[in-house]
Amino acid sequence: MSAIQAADLVRRFGEVEAVRGVSLEVAEGEIYGFLGPNGAGKSTIVRILTTLLQPTSGSGHVLGHDVTREPTTVRRLIGVALQEAGLDPKQTGRELLTLQGKLYGLKGKVLGDQVVEVTELVGLTDAIDRRIQTFSGGMKRRLDLASALLHRPRVLFLDEPTTGLDPLSRALIWDRIRELRERFGATIFLTTQYLEEADELADRVAIIDHGRIVRQGTPAALKAEIGADVIDLAVEERETGAAREAITELQASGELPQGELRGTRDGYTLFVPDGPQNIAVLIRGLDRAGVRFGAVSVSRPTLDDVFLAATGGRMAAAHEDGQDGDGQREPEPAGSGRRAS
Amino acid sequence: MSAAAPGIGSADGRVPAGEPQTLAAPAGLISDVVAITGRAIRGILREPELFIFALIIPVFFFVVQIGALGKVAEQQLGISDYAAFQLPISILFAAASTSGGNALVLDIAGGYWDKLSLTPAHRSSLVVGNLFGEMFAVLGYSLVLLVFGFLIGVRFDSNPVIGSLGLLALTLLFGIGFASVSIAVALATGSVRATQSTFIIFFPLLFLTPSALPRQLMTGWFEKAVSLNPMTYVVEAARSFLFGINGTVIAKGFLAAALFSCLTFALTALAFRRRVRMG
Repeated sequence: MSAIQAADLVRRFGEVEAVRGVSLEVAEGEIYGFLGPNGAGKSTIVRILTTLLQPTSGSGHVLGHDVTREPTTVRRLIGVALQEAGLDPKQTGRELLTLQGKLYGLKGKVLGDQVVEVTELVGLTDAIDRRIQTFSGGMKRRLDLASALLHRPRVLFLDEPTTGLDPLSRALIWDRIRELRERFGATIFLTTQYLEEADELADRVAIIDHGRIVRQGTPAALKAEIGADVIDLAVEERETGAAREAITELQASGELPQGELRGTRDGYTLFVPDGPQNIAVLIRGLDRAGVRFGAVSVSRPTLDDVFLAATGGRMAAAHEDGQDGDGQREPEPAGSGRRAS
Repeated sequence: MSAAAPGIGSADGRVPAGEPQTLAAPAGLISDVVAITGRAIRGILREPELFIFALIIPVFFFVVQIGALGKVAEQQLGISDYAAFQLPISILFAAASTSGGNALVLDIAGGYWDKLSLTPAHRSSLVVGNLFGEMFAVLGYSLVLLVFGFLIGVRFDSNPVIGSLGLLALTLLFGIGFASVSIAVALATGSVRATQSTFIIFFPLLFLTPSALPRQLMTGWFEKAVSLNPMTYVVEAARSFLFGINGTVIAKGFLAAALFSCLTFALTALAFRRRVRMG
């Protein structure tokens, strides 16, 4: 039995179709990364699968239970940490967890033990008796995660759990997510804008754009779909025309294999097979054409490249707005942020 | 965290046999309401300044009315104790100015409503618990004002214990009606500003009553409007607890308060259904 199953989910808000026929299946014990830019439909799908929102059509099941027909059973089986950690600032952390536990039917020693356990798990033991209004953003996220774990859910929905967090808090949340899967075999549905996060944590990734899943698979398989290495080339702005012309000529003459050429903030990215061999061909060709260029590097494709190929670069635009994470590439020339061409 | 032991978990049999279970189990409506009410009361106690501010206007009106009209009313209109005549108005005034929807709308706007809605608790407990929390505040205001009245010399013509308990019961019933309006607006709009504006409705409802003078001294359109206002009967019943218990007057008052509360609670129920459907 699948832990999570969605079949042709559609959700409209008036004229706007936020989710347009999404089907997915998540196996028990899997970490499933749901990747997409702001407004792609990630949170709407999470709200449907966690019983907060009814779909316009289609169906969703968690551990075989229909999310619209058996919402109370589904709520007992899942834990949810939503994107905006909605916590009552007037309560202390312990009061919030205790109330949450009572609403899940926990009581007495079991409730007390669970509060202590999840508090330790997220590293909030010292702060748990403070009012939540004194918590930092990272602490609130961790408390929200703790409250989602109180009743030992079998399926955990984490909606952008690290958005806006500092690197230290993000690393801590990542550790906890890995621990949850390793120790308890929990199924984790993780939405994120961070390509790096999906790459680090997820067994499988779905990329959603404009309310539709446009790619789905393991990170390795998705990267392999690109079928090429990535050469990043930095050129000054006045040289971009000449550089493009030189590369096009190299491809036309057969010196460089055919491959996608994409403009970036600092120059170009070229997708070609056998990158280490062809980087030398490229450099010689640019030299010969008299094109002045800066750093040149070759790397394996990342989820960033998969994302760009799948969505036409909307995530890259979000990067530049500072809303987003960072595609990871080693080595990466300084300041080589991509720009969709 | 250790893995859930076999057999621990939902005891209601709703989780299919053989599946590893979570620790979640049905808590029951009463337990849910008690938990949410406890949280609402904690919130009220954590902001005593709001409690004090809510008492300032009723106390101000009480003192000003007595100062301005007390002597005239007692000497010219034959009202034996104008402070006692005004005390129920102050108490109802305080009960009407409570805004049960404020805490709820902040939960909705801040996302805590969603957090609570994700639990298997009865969703109606999220509303009823808030309402009960607000009744705790109404009880607090009423007791403070009763003690204040006692300190300035107000006395019950009837048995003071029965009179006080009756007045408190009527005030709570009336308070449920006003708090429900605010909660309905909170649920329907999710807007903090709209919810905070609901107190405006108590001006016509409470001032088109015999709040300053007995109804028999009123004339013309004002007297007609006052007679049509169900709050008039609540005010008169509240006074009856101080000026000698009159069963008919009190029954009319309770009936008016109950009808008002049923109507506004029905609005709350509709708004609640809409909110739950909207997600």
